[in-house]
Amino acid sequence: MTTQTDNGQAVTEKPAISVKSLDFYYGEHKALRNISMDFARRKVTGMIGPSGCGKSTLLRVLNRMYDLYPGQRATGEVVFDGRNIIGQGIDLNRLRARVGMVFQKPTPFPMSIYDNIAFGVKLHEKLSRSEMDGRVEDVLRRVALWAEVKDRLKASATALSGGQQQRLCIARTIATRPEVVLLDEPTSALDPVSTARIEELLDELKKEFTIAIVTHNMQQAARCADQVAFFYLGELVEMDSTDRMFTAPRETRTQDYITGRFG
Amino acid sequence: MNGIARTAGTVPGKPPESTEAQETMLGAGSRLNGDSIFRWLVTTAGIGVLLLLGGIILVMISGGMKAFETFGPSFFTTSIWNPVTQHFGALAPVFGTIVTSLIGLVVAVPLAFGAAFWLTQMAPARISFAVGMAVQLLAAVPSIIFGMWGFFVIVPLIARYVQPTLHHWFGHVPVVDALVAGAPFGTGLMTGGLILAVMIMPFVTAVMCDVFTSIPAVLKESGFGLGATRWEVMRNVILPWSRSAVVGSVVLGMGRAMGETMAVTFVIGNANKIGWSLFAPGNTIASLIALEFPESPAGSVKLSALMALGAILMAMSFVALAISRVLLGVSGKKEGR
Repeated sequence: MTTQTDNGQAVTEKPAISVKSLDFYYGEHKALRNISMDFARRKVTGMIGPSGCGKSTLLRVLNRMYDLYPGQRATGEVVFDGRNIIGQGIDLNRLRARVGMVFQKPTPFPMSIYDNIAFGVKLHEKLSRSEMDGRVEDVLRRVALWAEVKDRLKASATALSGGQQQRLCIARTIATRPEVVLLDEPTSALDPVSTARIEELLDELKKEFTIAIVTHNMQQAARCADQVAFFYLGELVEMDSTDRMFTAPRETRTQDYITGRFG
Repeated sequence: MNGIARTAGTVPGKPPESTEAQETMLGAGSRLNGDSIFRWLVTTAGIGVLLLLGGIILVMISGGMKAFETFGPSFFTTSIWNPVTQHFGALAPVFGTIVTSLIGLVVAVPLAFGAAFWLTQMAPARISFAVGMAVQLLAAVPSIIFGMWGFFVIVPLIARYVQPTLHHWFGHVPVVDALVAGAPFGTGLMTGGLILAVMIMPFVTAVMCDVFTSIPAVLKESGFGLGATRWEVMRNVILPWSRSAVVGSVVLGMGRAMGETMAVTFVIGNANKIGWSLFAPGNTIASLIALEFPESPAGSVKLSALMALGAILMAMSFVALAISRVLLGVSGKKEGR
């Protein structure tokens, strides 16, 4: 059901997620207005904009995290795998396994490194011991953490450094084999070296996953994203390829924001 | 004890004195004085707590000395309580205290956990608020009220329905039949335990609610983000994260159960006996002391025996606390903390 075309014709591929006329409300407050955008398959989509512009809110719509909180609701259409995921009758647990999320601060569970990764996998798959060992090693290698932790997989994940914790959280997210990975300012709590490692990682991950990343860091958006969307006051102002957004934006508001004149 | 000492330490210090004092710079005599007075005050408060605790223990042990000397080790191993022959033993009330507390915990903790889980994770905000308030109010009901309520409501229920029904089902099952044997008085260890459960449930619920709501939202969302259900998030994220606090709440509940006096005295039957039947009348340390104290003349062996029981009750509370610490340490290591 995921990716049939592996021969590079990305242009013709259907977007992984397609948002159409999305409105979002926190109680009475309208936080997103008429958002329509596509998340291209196996590309990195960067979302930028000043605080409170709705970019994180949009991320929380894509895996229906907002559902946990009463009074928050979305109207419109978000099509993922042929279905409107903000409609009725969606298996939220299944959806969230297929649209994984990594948060601003690293959030290791209070258990061992190994169990942190096995936890999500066990929820959805029955794996034998050796299969699970293989899965854990595989994802840890892919986030370049294996060499650092292979001798202490049973040690508590909370003892890792911040950057290691965040890579573990990414490993944990991709361990359930999602199609989409949402990252909500994943490096804002990290030092520059850890940030660089996560950014390198994104280049690897996008070969397999569709990635949506919210960031406050213009350079990060410019470095990592294939396409960038600029949000302002709950609206999608402009969305284009990264090159065009940063060299020749169509809107003056975009121009002002990326050159640091407000925000 | 620690907590109290620490609270005393956080009392805000004296405000800076006059500008004059600040001008003296290095030779700031009056400011230094203020600081040393403050230090002296909080140190006294901290040590005072220690002295108070030591003093209570000392009074209990010295008061009970006469009983310990008269009966020796047999004070702990006999269940006789006979003011006529002046023979006293601690075993029956100790047994009753442990059994009723355990019944109370076994009933209350799952209920409290369920209530706290529902209140913090599932209930709509408005209902959660209302029920949360009710739980708090329940915790504030004086224990004598629970005693009377238990006597007029729970005791007849146990006598008329619960024990006869259980006796009907299990009366012929080996081993289990002993647990439900005896005449249906309604008063007894089970009734005492149930009253204790009702009394400590709101308390444990309130503490668990606080614990469950204090978990960072992103940690919970990380669990949900992997596709976990509410129960899976509770089981694998919230509980491990809050384990020590949850065990702490259970131990606090147990401490309250062991020391609870009036409500238990109302419904336990007050018989100095040890038996298998959970429905037979018994007593607890606290209920025995409350009942017998007025009839114990100063200087008598009986009064000394009651003081000795008080010392034992304190020791039991300490042991419970120590056990919980050890358990927490062990399970903490297992998870690699």
